[in-house]
Amino acid sequence: MSNGDDSPDSTVPLLAARDLAKAHGRTEALRGASVELAAGEILAVTGPSGSGKSTLLHCLAGIVRPDAGSVSYAGERLDALPEKRLSELRRTEFGVVFQFGQLIPELTALDNVALPLMLAGTSRPDAHARAGEWLERFGVRGQEALRPGEMSGGQAQRTSLARALVTGPRIVFADEPTGALDSLATEQVMTALTHTARETDTAVLLITHDAQVAAYADREVRLSDGTVAPEFSTEATEAAV
Amino acid sequence: MIGMSTRHILLGLLASGPSHGYDLKRRHDERFPQARPLAYGQVYTTLQRLVRDGLALVEGTDSDGGPERTTYRSTEDGSRELARWAGEIAPPAPFVTNEIFAKVVVSILSGGDPAAYLAAQRAAHMERMRELTAVKTAKGADLATVLSADYALNHLDADLRWMTTTAARLTTLTAEVDAA
Amino acid sequence: MRADLRLAWLLTRGSDRREWWRVLLTAVGAALATGLGLVVAALLPLDGYHEVTVGAGLLDEPGTRAGVIVALMLLLIPVGGFLGQCARIGAVHRDRRMAGLRLAGATPGQVRRIAALESGLACLVGSGAATVVSVPTLLALWHHPDPLSWAGMLLVAVLVPVLGAVVSAVALRRVVASPLGWIRRVRPAAGPGRLFRVATGLLALLALYLATTPFLGNPFDFALVPVTVFALCLLAGAVSVWLAGASARQLGEGFAARARRPELLIATERLRDDPWALARTHAAVLLVTVVASGFIGVRQVLLADLHEQHRRGHLAMGLSYYTSGLDLTGAAVLVALALVLTALAVGTAESLATRRRGLAAQAAAGVPHAVLARAMLLETALPLAPAVAVAGMGGLTIGVWYGSATSEHMSVPVPFAALLVPLAVYAACLLAAATSLPLLRRSIRPAELRYA
Repeated sequence: MSNGDDSPDSTVPLLAARDLAKAHGRTEALRGASVELAAGEILAVTGPSGSGKSTLLHCLAGIVRPDAGSVSYAGERLDALPEKRLSELRRTEFGVVFQFGQLIPELTALDNVALPLMLAGTSRPDAHARAGEWLERFGVRGQEALRPGEMSGGQAQRTSLARALVTGPRIVFADEPTGALDSLATEQVMTALTHTARETDTAVLLITHDAQVAAYADREVRLSDGTVAPEFSTEATEAAV
Repeated sequence: MIGMSTRHILLGLLASGPSHGYDLKRRHDERFPQARPLAYGQVYTTLQRLVRDGLALVEGTDSDGGPERTTYRSTEDGSRELARWAGEIAPPAPFVTNEIFAKVVVSILSGGDPAAYLAAQRAAHMERMRELTAVKTAKGADLATVLSADYALNHLDADLRWMTTTAARLTTLTAEVDAA
Repeated sequence: MRADLRLAWLLTRGSDRREWWRVLLTAVGAALATGLGLVVAALLPLDGYHEVTVGAGLLDEPGTRAGVIVALMLLLIPVGGFLGQCARIGAVHRDRRMAGLRLAGATPGQVRRIAALESGLACLVGSGAATVVSVPTLLALWHHPDPLSWAGMLLVAVLVPVLGAVVSAVALRRVVASPLGWIRRVRPAAGPGRLFRVATGLLALLALYLATTPFLGNPFDFALVPVTVFALCLLAGAVSVWLAGASARQLGEGFAARARRPELLIATERLRDDPWALARTHAAVLLVTVVASGFIGVRQVLLADLHEQHRRGHLAMGLSYYTSGLDLTGAAVLVALALVLTALAVGTAESLATRRRGLAAQAAAGVPHAVLARAMLLETALPLAPAVAVAGMGGLTIGVWYGSATSEHMSVPVPFAALLVPLAVYAACLLAAATSLPLLRRSIRPAELRYA
């Protein structure tokens, strides 16, 4: 990833996006959004529906290319990379969790978690061994042979987290990971995600519309109409009011 | 938690057996971790009122070599009163006005910036929610801690939702307040 | 009824691109069916000798004409398979929409009528187009057509849309019965129905009876040979369909447990999950494989026989009169093959379109496009291999049996050329499945992540 010009300065963000713009047809989803994510940081991106949260995540994770602006990851410009390299980055350096749909319905929990390792060339027995450890870590023990359709929503999402983290990524991108869960399952999923991220020093970019979920993060960025809403510190407002 | 009935909470703690004031305060703070801690003075005053009303009795005193301690226990009437209170429904949504709304209106009346106020209040609420989330997700947090943090988190979240909706409707509110 | 018609029109107009594909392909299938039916209807009333300018003289004699009519009617089978495959495009979506209508308070009858009108209209467009082309063609060839022909053609033009409407109303019976259950329920991996098993059993008995007739001393009626060939074809087809389904589960489980490569794992687990889905999709392919390899065998026997008689000067007509009949049959088999391959391509495309959100999520997680593409091709390649092999063997057996039954006095070589048919069909199937690869690239676009 990094090369000689990667400065040892710890304030250089792991992932930085500047003035991102992206339109879907005539709808401008992003209009000059800038975000930074430090190594090991858990950042919540909140905002009303249609504010461009998901599009921001897609641009940051290299799933879509922005129309304008730049995304750099560890000194590498994602927006200029070929698709093959982006695919590889997403497979090895990033993990993704969506609201649902990222597990292959026909594969068992164990095979689903082992899949990213197998894609990287790990043999199936080794991949199974590591996948089993991760499933246990996320409390999906004894469910290895179940398929996504046979699990509860919370179990499926914890399996998805295991799949996202099994390759030891530096960033996990989570788009409404608890959007379809009740509050108890939400608490279990979010606790599992934040604990593991902190233990393994993995950065998390968390998209959510739920303030209680956003409260698991270290910091919050609010999107509105495709741009980042200005931050108000309490002191600044005391002067204003 | 406080502002509710301290006497009923103490009666509840006495229900498991006789206890003295210091012990009651310690158990209270353990059971209700995110609540404001009870002051000793308040514990003793409340216990004396319970005895006066016939809901508790002085069981005896011991000193164990240290300072003298009075042990209290609940009476029949005390148990009955406790059962009545525990089964009584708390009045739903008691407050229709709140400080945040008042500040928004005052800010409009005085030509201030209600949007900026709401954004700042939102940031403060989020900060408190992050603190509470950190408390409840800390390794080894017991269930009582988690549940009381959840109670506060849900209330802060309700405030937050209200603030978000209000912020989106400030223009209309300003017109209404200014017209009145 | 007018309200239903308007609702059907509104639903069709507001539907997405896939639904339009279904309407278009259904219309094309209906046009093919109507075209075949119209030719049959025009030919049926003919009696005795007629000089017909098309068909290399085969339509002149009543005997050969009957053969052509039977061949044309047999072609309706692959057309039916094609139509069945088209009906699956966007079927899940349509079923949900119909269930939604039921939940919104529509009566079962209304939902049935709306669905029937939707597909009936598409079939009407197709049959209308076919009729509009056929009538002037017939008038140009035949100056005073038989009134019975006109009546038959009118019947066909009306019957095709009506049948389309009836079939689609019947297909919705489960949605109508329990709308909520249908929306929520995951379809079970259903095996072949009782009807299929009974039909296979009866076919087997019939084939056994017919095949043993010559050996039981009964004088073998030559007229029974085509019936026997037909029954054997259906039987071999049914057996290979059953084999495709039954082996898919074992294949899936066996391979999945040992799979080392991710694409093999994905493909085999999908097989294990719904082993009968592919058997259903491939039924027409297998039937055509049996017919084609059987035909190659029969053709070889007939040609050897013809050349023999030609050498002895026993033939009444020129050799080309007999061979053109064989060539026409060969062309019909090729048309059937083209139809089922199109149906297979449509089926693969539909399976991709249904899964596009999941596929987009896989791609977003960094699963390479090549792995997804190989998994998709393996899903067709794995279960088809044993089934096509059995179908080919069945066809070969039919050819050998036909040779031994019809020419006792003549030694006929085993028609090994028939073995090339399954290989060719297998390769063609893989190519047909591969036509969906561009669609895969489009299905995994990140925009798909935005929709549930």
